[in-house]
Amino acid sequence: MSSLLEVKGLKISYGGIRAVRGIDLNVGEGELVALIGSNGAGKTSTLKAIAGLLPAGSGEVNFDGKDMNGVEASRRVSMGIALVPEGRGVFSRLSVSENLLMGAYSRLDAGIRDDLQRMYDLFPRLVERRDQLAGTLSGGEQQMLVMARALMSRPRLLMLDEPSMGLAPLMVKKIFETIKEVAAQGMSILLVEQNARLALQVADRGYVMEAGSITLSGASLLDSDAVRRAYLGG
Amino acid sequence: MEIFLQQIINGLVQGSVYALVALGYTMVYGILGLINFAHGEVVMMGAMVSLSALSLMAGLPPLVSLPLSLLLAVAFCMLLGYGIERIAYRPLRHAPRLAPLITAIGVSIVLQNLAMLIWGRDYHSFPQLFANHAHRMAGAIINDIQLAIVVAAFLMMAGLMLVVHRTRLGRAMRAVAENQHAAQLMGVDVNRVVSVTFMMGSALAAVAGVMVSANYGLAHYYMGFLLGLKAFTAAVLGGIGNLRGAMLGGLLLGLIESLGAGYIGDITGGFMGSQYQDVFAFLVLIAVLIFRPSGLLGERLAERA
Repeated sequence: MSSLLEVKGLKISYGGIRAVRGIDLNVGEGELVALIGSNGAGKTSTLKAIAGLLPAGSGEVNFDGKDMNGVEASRRVSMGIALVPEGRGVFSRLSVSENLLMGAYSRLDAGIRDDLQRMYDLFPRLVERRDQLAGTLSGGEQQMLVMARALMSRPRLLMLDEPSMGLAPLMVKKIFETIKEVAAQGMSILLVEQNARLALQVADRGYVMEAGSITLSGASLLDSDAVRRAYLGG
Repeated sequence: MEIFLQQIINGLVQGSVYALVALGYTMVYGILGLINFAHGEVVMMGAMVSLSALSLMAGLPPLVSLPLSLLLAVAFCMLLGYGIERIAYRPLRHAPRLAPLITAIGVSIVLQNLAMLIWGRDYHSFPQLFANHAHRMAGAIINDIQLAIVVAAFLMMAGLMLVVHRTRLGRAMRAVAENQHAAQLMGVDVNRVVSVTFMMGSALAAVAGVMVSANYGLAHYYMGFLLGLKAFTAAVLGGIGNLRGAMLGGLLLGLIESLGAGYIGDITGGFMGSQYQDVFAFLVLIAVLIFRPSGLLGERLAERA
């Protein structure tokens, strides 16, 4: 399979802490890949480095065959990398529709209005609230909003950092259904989750990260004893 | 009653100028959480540059030379604002908050001294280009310049609100103000937005500088200091970081000052006169800081700190 994203020997350290200690990871065209692991394993740092928010200490991030070293975060968006950050990062003082338009900031084409409508079709809850300030939305609605906002950039790789965090079970279910739907449309997705079972259920493949290193990877991690013991509670 | 109306008019004129300058403070604060204490000096530079341009174009008809010199002042101040941010603030973007505050004061002193070297210590008189007609309104007087100041200021404020609330650039500005990281993830070049913000604030400051010197007929290298402080007070009064607050604060401060100066003589039985005008701005500042530190329209100041 051709790899859209290829990470080789990535190391990240900040403030003397080595958060990521040389990992290899790739996401193929149209693949849904899960990256699981406990708190502080380095998952978020990995996503931030791919998005360009954190400088890679060493190693390579290749996207679509191009070395991303030295490419500004804002440039990476127009190249097709979208990150939905942990804690969502909605613009709470902008309206819902303005948040979505911010998602399309890097685009200058004429299809933005159509995409806006597509997002409202994908997330009907957002239609009723389009003129409301995003800060007044519930947590689940905000998660929908930031996913829709990321899709508005027409990304080729969608990275989601802990989309289930802080949400009620019903809402988590809904969000994951949407993730499956987006993946089914051919989007390449890199999903970071603490809810390992859910993530591995929807993913084509997974990586397990521990203390800055990848310890396991493969397509059938749900059946792995080590994964069961450590992340799935038996 | 005539005195009252007259002071209202004077207050509106002065307040319009404060509002334009306060917008510059509040825009920069909204985006960077920084008080740009050099902003008053940008106002002064605007006045001085337009004066010099006017005297260079003395032979031209005023209908040509005035707009041209205004444009020159605006362009100069936009460059100046851009340069101030690049040189004095950007290298300190991630430094402790006190550091850029100190460089701001440094920039202010540098600009003042620079202006003193270029234009000297004397008051420069602003040429009278047009006949400045006085209009009577219910016993009070407003002249052409004052009328132009109020109208132009309101037009510019309306224009700014349109840009901030109705354009892609304005959306990006508000997004950066709220969450720089998230804005970057949308593909926003944060540095560019910061530069544009400084330039927009400086353009307003340049116009304000020309307004003040045209209204009083004077310009001086030191004029930016007190004006800057008062506009800053206006921004704090309205709620710093809030655009509507800066406009409201500016107008209110102008009104408070002029009504205060108009009536202080009566109230104190002639013991104090209108020379105490400047006191009111700072009384307001102290009162706001004590009773409503987040300002009239301000919100959640603690969140920013």
